[in-house]
Amino acid sequence: MAEVKTREFIPASRRAVDNPQLQAALKRAGGGFDSARLDAIEELGEERWQELRERARQIKEHTLENLDYYLEMLYNRVTANGGQVHFAADAQEANEIISDLALSRGAKTVTKSKSMVSEEMGLNHSLESMGIRSVETDLGEYIIQLADETPFHIVGPAIHKTKEDVSEVFAEKIDRPGLVEIEDLAEAARETLRDDLLQADMGISGANFLVAETGTLGIVTNEGNGRFCTSSPRIHVALTGMEKVVPSLEDLAVFLRLLPRAATGQRLTSYVSMVSGPRAPTEEDGPEEFHLVIVNNGRSRLLQDEKLRGALSCIRCGACLNICPVYRKVGGHAYGWVYPGPIGAVIDPVLVGLDEAKDLPFASSLCGACREVCPVKINLPHMLLTLRSRLMEGDEESRGKATFMDSTMGHGYRMLMSAPKIMSLARRVGRMTQMAVARKGWIRKLPLPPFDRWTRSRDMKAIPKESFREIWDRELSKEGTPRSREGPKGGRS
Amino acid sequence: MKAADFLDMVQAALGKPSRELTEPYGPLDEELDSIRERAAAATERLQRERCELWEQLSGTATKRGWNVCRAAGVEEGLAYICNVASSAEFPRVVRSDQDVFDEMPVDAALGAQGVQTAVMSQSGGSTREELKSAAAMAGVGITGVDYAVAETGSVVLLPRAGVARLVSLAPPSHIAIVRPQELVATLDDLFLLRRLAYYEGDKNMGSYLNFITGPSRTADIEQKIVIGVHGPKEVHLVMLDEERAG
Repeated sequence: MAEVKTREFIPASRRAVDNPQLQAALKRAGGGFDSARLDAIEELGEERWQELRERARQIKEHTLENLDYYLEMLYNRVTANGGQVHFAADAQEANEIISDLALSRGAKTVTKSKSMVSEEMGLNHSLESMGIRSVETDLGEYIIQLADETPFHIVGPAIHKTKEDVSEVFAEKIDRPGLVEIEDLAEAARETLRDDLLQADMGISGANFLVAETGTLGIVTNEGNGRFCTSSPRIHVALTGMEKVVPSLEDLAVFLRLLPRAATGQRLTSYVSMVSGPRAPTEEDGPEEFHLVIVNNGRSRLLQDEKLRGALSCIRCGACLNICPVYRKVGGHAYGWVYPGPIGAVIDPVLVGLDEAKDLPFASSLCGACREVCPVKINLPHMLLTLRSRLMEGDEESRGKATFMDSTMGHGYRMLMSAPKIMSLARRVGRMTQMAVARKGWIRKLPLPPFDRWTRSRDMKAIPKESFREIWDRELSKEGTPRSREGPKGGRS
Repeated sequence: MKAADFLDMVQAALGKPSRELTEPYGPLDEELDSIRERAAAATERLQRERCELWEQLSGTATKRGWNVCRAAGVEEGLAYICNVASSAEFPRVVRSDQDVFDEMPVDAALGAQGVQTAVMSQSGGSTREELKSAAAMAGVGITGVDYAVAETGSVVLLPRAGVARLVSLAPPSHIAIVRPQELVATLDDLFLLRRLAYYEGDKNMGSYLNFITGPSRTADIEQKIVIGVHGPKEVHLVMLDEERAG
């Protein structure tokens, strides 16, 4: 399994915020993806977009509620089509299945197209340790593999790297020095990887959708490496999380309209490849063997959790990353595991263990933008709150470390807001004491712990000379109306 | 993990008493006759709207990065293909073995220009390895299409005997020849027709299906779009208008 560094979220975020190059890359990335997404939706029409989202949500909800039924259907159909289905309880078992396949068939070189599940498994390292060469062929993944890093973004794994960074990596690792333009870097990858794409013994791909009805998997790509990996080697192994099923072939029409638009603002990606089995004996090319590896790796914990099950609807478009004010500041590596951003803040804690990832559910301002952009309408803010409340209510061990502060502040707030007299007293005390720290109506820095933590990343409005309540009372008494203790309409304003 | 154990585990996680559906799913309960009826209605509609869809395809394909050639007839189509092939990176051509080439004698036309065409077919006695290297060495791959989707500007190919996957993938330039009868309006039409074919063809989907929507592209470095990373850099859609479209 991939290394878990979710405990490092806060120091890693701080390092990211202090890194100007990373901040520049994040600014470019978030804005670029998101404006493309908006253009694509505008062209389709808002109403149609909302219809598609709702339809997708319903399909996913129904499928997840009956995942056992649809996985069985899928298993039967893929088998009938001449493929082999393998089930893996966890990352280790999935790694073993794939290594065994490669070793027993004498595969020396494996070409890989993009698969997030393989990132969960640390598949490349596992294969290399068995003496099998594993080559990432998606350009972003290739760069990341050469640089020995992990993906920074679900859709654009290397978007944190500048062309100068990539140029350096290519010079050092594949002996292609002096490349300056992005076009030349892409061409170098094309030339370098072509032999492997044609000659590899085994191709490994992910899958975006699994159609239970026909035993077909859909792979959505742009570069063409995915087509090579599923066409040229004699063995094709597709790797997928168990949640990717949709019932009917016709359901794909919905998801193929949503995924590219939400991910990159494309109307359709350059390629959608649909694999239903090994090649027929009469075919000129295509793999002789087709294997589908279906992985749990913690997903059943999400499935049994009715409040979080919806997170399994995720189609990995990355739209919630691009819009998230936290992701756009701290980037993908700070989250410390495979899935960053709001979706990662929900699923990582369940997949790696809540105790390991206590800070992730708090890595959100709860602004709700992630829910707005999600093409399958996952209620991410609500799920983040669910995880937060579990952390607060959990045993001493797993409770969040801010518990004492939070509960004290919470109680204090409740007391102030429900007792006008104390509120008014506190206001007067506040007005006097704030003179030391307020400048031009703002408090930008509170000097004393623990209050300094509040202003470390935000400014606070100073308490005004006169409150609304005081103005109200004064103005009313001016007009000679009887002074009301309860405010207008008897409410407690 | 054994399939049965895995499925039991999933069922247990859901807390379901049995493997059955908790509620029916309409589309999967549909009778074959109903699929047939819908497909027939769609086919009739496509026939009716063919002219508009043909225009739409030309527009969407152009937007998605195809070089579109509206060929008024076979001669014009062949001339365009010869032009592309003779200016290609390597003047070597591979093509699939599809019925569109009975209508479009590209081998002869290209041969007259001194460009040799290899047919990617085992029926000629070549081994799979030989065919693979022919595709890898070619500058241009020419295919027909099984469907063209007006909504998305895509062509759809169903690899099978005579329709090798690498023809439209390995060469830096791909030419797809499309005829009006291959048109569908939307993704919904396409999946409906494939679904019908699946049930009418004894539950056989074929091994593979490919949507091709413009050239290969990437935006993995600094989000700048670069055309032609692993697949074709240049794609041409030869729309064989003829009188059928009009």
